Amino acid sequence: MRRQHIWLLLVLLAPQLVAGCAGVDYVSVAHSGLKVATKAVAASRPISDSEEYYVGRAVAARVLSTYPLYQDQQLTLYVNEVGQAVARKSSRPNPFKGYHFAVLDTTEVNAFACPGGIIFITRGLLKTCTTEDELAAVLAHEVGHVTNKDGINSISKARWTEVLTTIGTEAAKQFAGPAGGLVTLFEGSIDDVFKTIVVNGYSRTAEAAADQEAAVILGRAGYDPGALAALLTKMAEQDKGSGGIFKTHPPTSERLAKVKAAGTEGAPSKEMAARSKRFQSQKL
Amino acid sequence: MKRPRFCPRPAGWLLILGLAALLLAPAPGWGEVLKVTQANQSLYPSADFASTPLTSVSAGEEVNVVEKAGDWYQVEYQGKKGWMPRQAFPTPQTAPKLPLGGILFGGLVGETKSDEVALAGKGFSPEVEAAYRQKHPEMKFAQVDQVEAFKVDEVQFNAFLKEGGLKP
Repeated sequence: MRRQHIWLLLVLLAPQLVAGCAGVDYVSVAHSGLKVATKAVAASRPISDSEEYYVGRAVAARVLSTYPLYQDQQLTLYVNEVGQAVARKSSRPNPFKGYHFAVLDTTEVNAFACPGGIIFITRGLLKTCTTEDELAAVLAHEVGHVTNKDGINSISKARWTEVLTTIGTEAAKQFAGPAGGLVTLFEGSIDDVFKTIVVNGYSRTAEAAADQEAAVILGRAGYDPGALAALLTKMAEQDKGSGGIFKTHPPTSERLAKVKAAGTEGAPSKEMAARSKRFQSQKL
Repeated sequence: MKRPRFCPRPAGWLLILGLAALLLAPAPGWGEVLKVTQANQSLYPSADFASTPLTSVSAGEEVNVVEKAGDWYQVEYQGKKGWMPRQAFPTPQTAPKLPLGGILFGGLVGETKSDEVALAGKGFSPEVEAAYRQKHPEMKFAQVDQVEAFKVDEVQFNAFLKEGGLKP
């Protein structure tokens, strides 16, 4: 047998021999070399859409551990229909796993946008709305936060740098080291986002940008762009500086002034009555 | 006696046998029976946490593995075929007893669990979520699954848009 044939045969059978001797999934072994190479590339990148999605799921799980989920299928369907109507007109209509809307069973007046597209509105805020267009304005504002990636951007830069360092270190050591560190960093990231959306709120700049996006979305969807100003006017009257949305958002009067300055007030359309009628038929 | 041109030499036969061994080797995971080691698992119709689970699978149950595809295993359980996340099962043995794999392929020289490999390669991934869930059983991920599973019927949605004078 020629020498080169023997070598070729050895190369062909090597994976089988390795797998057979050690009880190893040899395809995984063969792919491991490629993984080493991709890890080095992964060491300097922004948070991917799928990572944003998994952070969002965990933030949603934490929100649902704080506020009970309202189990009313009819209302959930209605909120999802209004939500999908506005989300598809946003500048980010297709996040990793789409948008999902749900109602929280609390009298607190608030709404939360988890990274990746899960959006909650409380029964308290639903009761503050008097028309479907106002509900659409709330949901469009939250979609604006997802579009602008405000939730995922609230993960501290230092923490994400540490995530990338951990990934890079793992690559450099060829998988040696405590990957459990990533779970701790994930946990910290959930804390960052949760504190921002539920406790401290976004920056004034982020809120103004979400209001602006909401007004654009409402117009594109066929809702009254003035519904946001109408709802903010109502909320400004209720603003007692207490908890909920008043704690996590800038003063409503300030938001209202900016929305009005942007010229987003509009005249009621002829279908608005039909929309309000179906809103009022909901059991809030 | 002269060998016909189409008849390979013994070394050629060995090469053909080697290729055949590679091609006919069973797919990884084929016919394997695995025991579920994580609690509160579900059988999904597709490799997607957002899909509505077919049924729940308790820890200790055995499933037949049909196919392993990345982070998901296609399995048969109680006559139903579906998908389960890889982290539902014990960590596969990936570190060879001898460092031959590392020498040949440039990896797996150290003692490392496969989950660590996955975690390091993907950042925040289903495996990280699974580990987080295990650490925080109080988090209501089942309700998140419920929220994500809620679908709006396309026909009904179009009627909703039309009735409200909204733009499709």
